[in-house]
Formats: sequence, C-alpha cells, structure tokens
Amino acid sequence: MIENTSLTPEKDSSGLADAIDRILDKGLVINADIAIDVAGVELLGIKIRAALASFETAARYGLEFPFGTNLETAAWKEAMIEKEECPQCGKRVDTEELLNFACPWCGWESARAKKRKAMKVGAKVEVQ
Amino acid sequence: MVILRPEETGLKQLLDRILDKGVTIDMNVRIDLGSLDLLGAKARIVLASFETAEKIGLDFPGGTVLNTPAWQDLKMKQPCPICGMESKREDLEKEGCPWCGWNYRQKERYE
Repeated sequence: MIENTSLTPEKDSSGLADAIDRILDKGLVINADIAIDVAGVELLGIKIRAALASFETAARYGLEFPFGTNLETAAWKEAMIEKEECPQCGKRVDTEELLNFACPWCGWESARAKKRKAMKVGAKVEVQ
Repeated sequence: MVILRPEETGLKQLLDRILDKGVTIDMNVRIDLGSLDLLGAKARIVLASFETAEKIGLDFPGGTVLNTPAWQDLKMKQPCPICGMESKREDLEKEGCPWCGWNYRQKERYE
C-alpha cells in the first residue's frame, strides 16, 4: 500500500543546501577594483571580475571554461535546454514540455496545456 | 485553480533579495601617522546575481559570450504577479500567464 501519496515537493525549502542551490542557479557576479598606496605611492592594484555559477548556469550564460574542457558531451547539450521546476513535484523539466504538455514526472498541467486540451476536445466533438 | 506563490521564508528569501538588489561596497581607507600619509586603500566592490548584473551593466569576465539564449530570456521574461513563475512578456500580455492562467484582461471585462 502506498502511504505517501502527497505530490508536494519533499525538499525542505529553507536551509543551507537550498541557499547554495539558489546561488549556483542564479549565478553570482563579484567585481572589485582595489587600490592600495603607501605614502602616496600606488603600490598594488587589484581588479577582479568573477562569476560564480553552477555548470548548467555557466554553460547557458556562455561563461568561458578552462582550456581543454570538452563542450561537446551530452551533458552540455542537456544543460543548454531551458528547464523549469515543476510547481507541483519540484522536478526540473524542459520548460517547453512542462508548459505545453504536462510534467512527465507527476502529470501536473499548466494553464496553457489545459487550454490546449480543451480546444482539442472541442475540435474532436465538432468532427463527430 | 490558482497556484499561489510559494511561501518563501528565511535564508532563501534573504538571499534572493540580496542577489536581486545587488550589494555595493565603496570604501576609502586612509591611515596616516603624524602628517605623513602611511597607507591608503580604495575598494569598489559589487556583488549581484547574473540577472541584476546584466541589468545594471556590470562587466563580465573576459571570454563570456553575451548573446546566448539565456541572456535574451533575461531581457524578455517577466514574473507572473500571482504564481511568480517567469514567462515571456509577450505571452503574458497576449494569453495571460501560461503557468497559472492569470490574465489581466479578465479584469477589464468585468468593469
């Protein structure tokens, strides 16, 4: 017997893991210009242009990868597909599929998918 | 059915806010001894999410390709006021929110 039939995401929505997820997913830019002078003489200048992101986010925003990285693997192609979290089960799914059809994991349907379905049913009835 | 914006609390919300608003640290430090300038430090630091960085025109590391589809999406997408899910501005205006079905035109009809 299945006991847990709830379709709500089981992920805890607060906590460190989620915070890290969020930062890596959104990406973080850290830019800094620092100049240090001693007795009026410019001694040290630091210029930092840093971007911090997950592999997926980095690939989608076209960040440069270290020389020698093979960008032709299946995982990179997968990363380039736009994904969105299913509002019901929390799985990351291809946005197009989620919006136009349904979540392949839990079957959640968006307003657009429902509208499409209704239109299709209407068309079938007309044909009959 | 209307999906309500998931309740966001604590660390997650705080982080979202910081990343979306961006943080700027702008400081000048000057240490002198007597009338002699001993040490000076100048720092301009910014911290922001990719989205905000793009909006306010921050510099990205050299080698970044700034015209991938993800960058285009940042410019075109808008969050739905009801469910908070992002969709293309064009879709949001024409057909309403494709996620939850919210449509601002429905309001016009009743008025």
